[in-house]
Amino acid sequence: MNINKSNPLLLHPLNKWMKKKKWSWFPHQIETFQHVQSGSDVVVFAPTGAGKTLTGFINPIDNLIKLKNFKGLHTLYISPLKSLANDIVRNLEKPIKELDLNISFQVRTGDTTPYKKQKQKQKPPNILITTPESLALLNSYENAKEFLQNLKYIIIDEIHTFLDNKRADLLSLNIERLQTYSPNLQRIGLSATLKNKQDAKKWLCRKKPKIVSYQNSVLPKIKILESKERIPWSGHMATYSINEIYKEIMKSKLTIIFVNTRAQAEYMFKNLWLINKKKLKIAVHHGSLEKNLRLKVENNLSKGLVDCVVATSSLELGLDYGDLEKIIQVGAPKGINRLLQRVGRSNHNLNTPSKAILVPTNRFEFIEAKAAIEEIKKNNLDKIDLKKGSFDVVAQHIFATACAGQFDINDLYKEIIKAYPYKKLKLNEFKQLINLIQDGGYVLKNYDQFKRIFQLRENKNIYKLVNRRETRKYRMNVGTIIENPMLKIKLGTKTLGNIEEVFIQNLSQGDSFIFAGQVLEFQSMKNNLVQVKRSKSLISKIPSYSGGRMPLSTNLANSVRALLAKSNMWDLYPEQITEWLKRQKNISKIPKKDEYLVEQFPRKKNFYTVIYTFAGWHANQTLGFLLLRGFKEFNYKPLGFVASDYAIVLWSIKEVKEIKTILNLGLLDKHLDNYLEETSIVKRLFRDNAIISCLIERRLPGMEKTGKQVLFSSDLIYTVLKKNEPDHILLKSSYEDAKKNMIDYDRLREILKKIDKKIILKKLTSISPLAVPIILEINRENLSKKETDEYILEDLENEILKEANVLSIN
Amino acid sequence: MYYQLINFGNEEFHAYPDKSLYWKRLNTLIVSDLHIGKSISYAKNKQFLPPYDTKEILNKIFVSLDKFKPSNLIIVGDLLHDVLSTLSLKDQDHKNLSQYMKNTDFIWIKGNHDKNIQIEGFKNFTNYKIDKLLFTHIPIETSLFQICGHYHPKVKISHRGKTIFKTCFIHNEKIFILPSFGILTGGLDIHSKQISDVLGKNNLNIYPVGQDKVYKL
Repeated sequence: MNINKSNPLLLHPLNKWMKKKKWSWFPHQIETFQHVQSGSDVVVFAPTGAGKTLTGFINPIDNLIKLKNFKGLHTLYISPLKSLANDIVRNLEKPIKELDLNISFQVRTGDTTPYKKQKQKQKPPNILITTPESLALLNSYENAKEFLQNLKYIIIDEIHTFLDNKRADLLSLNIERLQTYSPNLQRIGLSATLKNKQDAKKWLCRKKPKIVSYQNSVLPKIKILESKERIPWSGHMATYSINEIYKEIMKSKLTIIFVNTRAQAEYMFKNLWLINKKKLKIAVHHGSLEKNLRLKVENNLSKGLVDCVVATSSLELGLDYGDLEKIIQVGAPKGINRLLQRVGRSNHNLNTPSKAILVPTNRFEFIEAKAAIEEIKKNNLDKIDLKKGSFDVVAQHIFATACAGQFDINDLYKEIIKAYPYKKLKLNEFKQLINLIQDGGYVLKNYDQFKRIFQLRENKNIYKLVNRRETRKYRMNVGTIIENPMLKIKLGTKTLGNIEEVFIQNLSQGDSFIFAGQVLEFQSMKNNLVQVKRSKSLISKIPSYSGGRMPLSTNLANSVRALLAKSNMWDLYPEQITEWLKRQKNISKIPKKDEYLVEQFPRKKNFYTVIYTFAGWHANQTLGFLLLRGFKEFNYKPLGFVASDYAIVLWSIKEVKEIKTILNLGLLDKHLDNYLEETSIVKRLFRDNAIISCLIERRLPGMEKTGKQVLFSSDLIYTVLKKNEPDHILLKSSYEDAKKNMIDYDRLREILKKIDKKIILKKLTSISPLAVPIILEINRENLSKKETDEYILEDLENEILKEANVLSIN
Repeated sequence: MYYQLINFGNEEFHAYPDKSLYWKRLNTLIVSDLHIGKSISYAKNKQFLPPYDTKEILNKIFVSLDKFKPSNLIIVGDLLHDVLSTLSLKDQDHKNLSQYMKNTDFIWIKGNHDKNIQIEGFKNFTNYKIDKLLFTHIPIETSLFQICGHYHPKVKISHRGKTIFKTCFIHNEKIFILPSFGILTGGLDIHSKQISDVLGKNNLNIYPVGQDKVYKL
């Protein structure tokens, strides 16, 4: 073929191997090779199965062979997961060994032994496969420059998983450091298909930026499980469809069932075993399980020794499992990109479609599943919003820089603002962060004799670490991932995994819960170990994991609204869904794509207001709190609210008459600060900020405090700081984090800007069909932490008093 | 501020939500474990806690002194966190303290944290006896009723599916333990071995400290 003649990769060292395997080069591989050769930084967008990993290595391998006997580190490969890094080594090993190429490569992650790390420093491999955290550590060594100055390429794998979080901030700062050490360094990003490719390019590329994109023409085959059972109004456990899910597992050689939370995973796993008459081999996989248990499941997966694995996002990335034929997604997809990533796991060949079945767990989720399928057909992907970089990560980076040696603050500032997330970092903010590392950065200069870094007397721009011992503290604190305080679960002497401390604190001896697919009975907690035994009972509490809530993407939310409004589609839905929507239309209204339906009705002596925002849980939760305040101002005596992804419901003693006056942008401007102050959101984020910025130490192995104590002391610090120095940079940082992540500020702002003109108000005599799911979710008090504490104490005291009275009367 | 009435050793005490104890009969204010200057001693290990704890603790104690104008202030140990802590007491703080000492007797019982430290104007004691009551940082072998500090007791409360931890006053028949009056001081579960060894497990009277009120369980 013509294209082959002009294909420069036919001369590539790997071409022989490709030929032996009867593989041919992809067009995007050729294109990437040429761009990188001509000096460009490139981001490659391609779906799973399109040789993405190989694409990254084409130029480095070619260059290494040309350079002959290159000594030292030539290429860094950054992977988002430790386990992926190991997979990459295995994949790279094959061609390099088979062709007997003179290229050395090694992996370096948190799991690498200190001995091996030491050896790597003395005799570095040509290619090092590592993670963002290990890269940051590498950069903090005194001889980092020596080690890294001949680096030619950095490859960032799965770059789409990095772009919108603090790991991205950390990585971006460290890439700039590498660029300083080695100005000729070229950057290659590998990404799943994204909507805003330009943003990824801006984030990564500096030199002649280029995008290479490969579009798969074969669409995945996704359908919704056809169930004879009733889809429930609300709930998230899909119990209704368990028999049908089981039938689907039987039909395929290997199935992965993806769920959204760890609790769902445990529940689904248990329910499948209860009906497992055919003795299928079913396993469970989630991030809290002990590493060895996880590895065992992964091994069985790759060897085809299981029939089905129930998994959370823990299995979203990673090895290709050859036998995997089908994906079942239980619960709402929450986003197009996420669904595609999951569905793509069953894809081994670009020319055959991957297969997936969606199982909605309630009625709204049915619409969401349908909408997701429509969007995938149109190839309408989610946008990943790049965020302004967080301050705490810069502080950590400053500390790391000091560990590597003395530094000039002007040079460091110039380097930091080259990183995309920090383009707008102000010099005075940067200086506050220097002070934060120096002595906590307080206005009250009490700690002069105890600084961590200090200015040289002869040059005030040069800072230096006081004491080499401090490097150890940095190394213990590196990274941006802060886990909730976790406790190890022991069954006999066997460790099953980790569970949130908060969950265990609510258990009493003899309480049962499900973990690692078994019903366990809580026995005792000693030295941070939770001792359990197997329970005979089948009734159990389900672990409620806090990390489970996935945000609903704006893209998919809009699509749900659009689909809901298309009444001509309804007849294609299952009868119960059609009935539900038709009744809603008759009794109230189905909102159009750009309308905001507000329903009000009396119920059980109270007055209910339901607002359908389709804004996602975070934004709705915030809106709920703000509306509580708004309602209080108008003296409607609000009692509480509940938010879902789609709507919020508030209930009050009095009728809410002025909803249009209350529901607008003014609500946000007026009440947001108060809201943040009174809830524990900022306080919680302050803890993360204090740890990431190295103000307080992370839990260290061996000298562990319990997580509760860490939480406790950061709470005290927060309270004292807020009272005495409200402008402190870490408070500002926590506040910005809250706006960015927890409360979906921008999304809410967008909605409130236009909402007042688009409210459709329906006064009803009773609850509407569309409101039933959210009303069913009303099950908890919505009081702030402070109020809750007082409430619990008060209530308990009253109960005891009552008891005492009864006793004295008797 | 509302107080909670506590009967101990045939005397009446008032427990306040600022974690102080007032003995009305003798017009005596009792506090414990202030740990003044904890932040500065942490800074030595490069843990930069906000340096406002000393100021806040002193303000808190001055507010109480202004309110009760007590004849005695008994500090049941660990007034200071360590030797470095004296650095956080500024000249003005010393002036204010001596002003208060004109009308109030400061009785400083030494704790494990501050046993080797002196401050001008403070009278030091290893323990202090009034009638049948003995004030001591850590309880000792005695037939007297003892009022102590040291343990920073907090109680775990599980109620209606929620769990919270609260600082508390706690006593059995013979021993009373005060909460820590400090700002950046953590706490120890009353069911921990250290506290159980002192108070036992039964017949405990527990008074969790809330926002504006001391509760009784």
